[in-house]
Amino acid sequence: MRYIVISALLLLSPALGVGGARAHAFLDHADPRVGNTVKSPRIVSLWFTQNLENTFSTIEVLDANGARMSVGNALVDTNDRKLLRVPVRVLPAGTYTVKWHVLSVDTHTSDGSFTFHVGP
Amino acid sequence: MSIRFLNPALPALALVLAPLAGAAAHEIAGNRFFPATLSIDDPGVNDELAVPTISMTKSGDEPSIKQLDFSGEYSRRITEAFAISVGPTWTHLYAPGGPTGTGASGFQNLDTTFKYRFYKDPVHELIMSVGLAVEWGGSGASGVGADKFTTYTPTFYFGKGFGDLPDQIWWARPLALTGTVGYAIPGSARTVTLDPDTGDTAIELHPQFLNWGLSLQYSMPYLKSAVYDFGLPDFANRLIPIVEASFQTPVANFAGTGIRTTGTVNPGLIYVSNYYQIGLEAIIPINRDSGRNVGALAQLHIYLDDLFPTTIGKPIFGGPVAPAKPF
Repeated sequence: MRYIVISALLLLSPALGVGGARAHAFLDHADPRVGNTVKSPRIVSLWFTQNLENTFSTIEVLDANGARMSVGNALVDTNDRKLLRVPVRVLPAGTYTVKWHVLSVDTHTSDGSFTFHVGP
Repeated sequence: MSIRFLNPALPALALVLAPLAGAAAHEIAGNRFFPATLSIDDPGVNDELAVPTISMTKSGDEPSIKQLDFSGEYSRRITEAFAISVGPTWTHLYAPGGPTGTGASGFQNLDTTFKYRFYKDPVHELIMSVGLAVEWGGSGASGVGADKFTTYTPTFYFGKGFGDLPDQIWWARPLALTGTVGYAIPGSARTVTLDPDTGDTAIELHPQFLNWGLSLQYSMPYLKSAVYDFGLPDFANRLIPIVEASFQTPVANFAGTGIRTTGTVNPGLIYVSNYYQIGLEAIIPINRDSGRNVGALAQLHIYLDDLFPTTIGKPIFGGPVAPAKPF
C-alpha cells in the first residue's frame, strides 16, 4: 500500500509542482576549493545544485579583519545558471571567508560560508 | 478473591514493541544540514514522508520473539515552525509471539506528533523544538501489543552542529549532536482484570517513562561545503555516518514490576540525495531486557519540501522560506 502511495505521488509530481530545478540551492563546490590553500585567485566561483536568480544572489569575500575583498556584485553565469562568480582584489597571504546567499529559481533562499587560504 | 500483579514481562513486551522509528524531520541551520534520524526524533520541522521504515529485532523476553516492523510517517507543516505528523506501524510477531504463541500481525497504535520549533540560531547551528507525541490507545491490534490506553509524551528536541569549533580542531566541525527528552504519561494508571473462574484480580501497572536519546553524526556534506573539500567522490560526499542511542527509563508507577531501563545503540549510515535520504542502522540492545542479538533498521525518507515546493511541500500558512536541502 505504501509503495502505491509513493508511486502515486511520483506519478502526480508534475501536477504537484515538481520540476528539475524547483528546489533549494546549496553549495556543490567552489573555486578556490573549500578550506584549501591556493595562489591569489582573480575570481571566486561557486557552483550550486540548482539554477539561481541573479537578483539577491550574493558573494562576499572577507579578509581576516573583515575587510571586503570582493569587487562589485556577484553575477550568475548566463550559460550555467548554477554558477555564481565574483571578482576579487589581489589577495595577500592569509585566510579568507566567503559568505554566500542565493535565491534559487523557485524563490527559496539559502546561505552559508566557508574559508580558503592564500599561500605566500 | 486475591489480587496479583501481572508479570512485568507484559509491559516489557510493550516496550520492545514500541516502534523504533521516530517522527523525524530534516532541518537546516546556517551551513548545517540535520538529516532525519532513524531511531530518535530530531528537532526538525518540515514537510516529508518517511516510508517505508523497516526494522527487525528480537525481544528480550523468554523465549525471545522475533519482530518485523513496517512503518511510515507523513509530516506536514501548518506554519513554517509548526508541523503535525502521523505515523502508522504494522508489526509481525513470529512464533512463539502473539496471544496464541503462533505469531501475530497487525497495526500498532497510531502515533501523532505535534512539534513546534521555537529557536533556530544559524550562526551556532542550534535548533530547539518542543512537541507532544500522542499514541492513540485502542487504535491498534492488541495481538501485537498495542495498548488500549492513550499515552501522551511531551518532548524537548535539540540539535547542535559544531561548525563553530576553533581552527585547531577543524576536523571536528562536521560533527553534530541531536537529542530528545520526553516524558511518557499513560492515560490510564493501571488495567484491572477479573478472572471469572477464580475470582482473582490481576493488576497491570502502566508505568511512566522517561524516553531519551541522542544521535552523534559526522556530516561529509558539511565537510565538503563548509570545512575542507578533499575532492572525494560524490558518493562519499553524501554520506553521514551516525550513531543513535535510544533509552526508556521507568520513573513512576512501576514498583514491583521489575522493569528497568531499556534501550538500543544504533550505529549506521545515511546517504543524502537532493530529494531523499536512505538510512541503514544496526540495532544493538544495551541489556537483556532490551532484546537479543543485533537487529537492523532501514529507512527511505523523502523531502516533500524539495519535491513539491509549491504545493504539499510548503506550510499551509506562509510561504516556503526555510532552506532544507544539503546539496
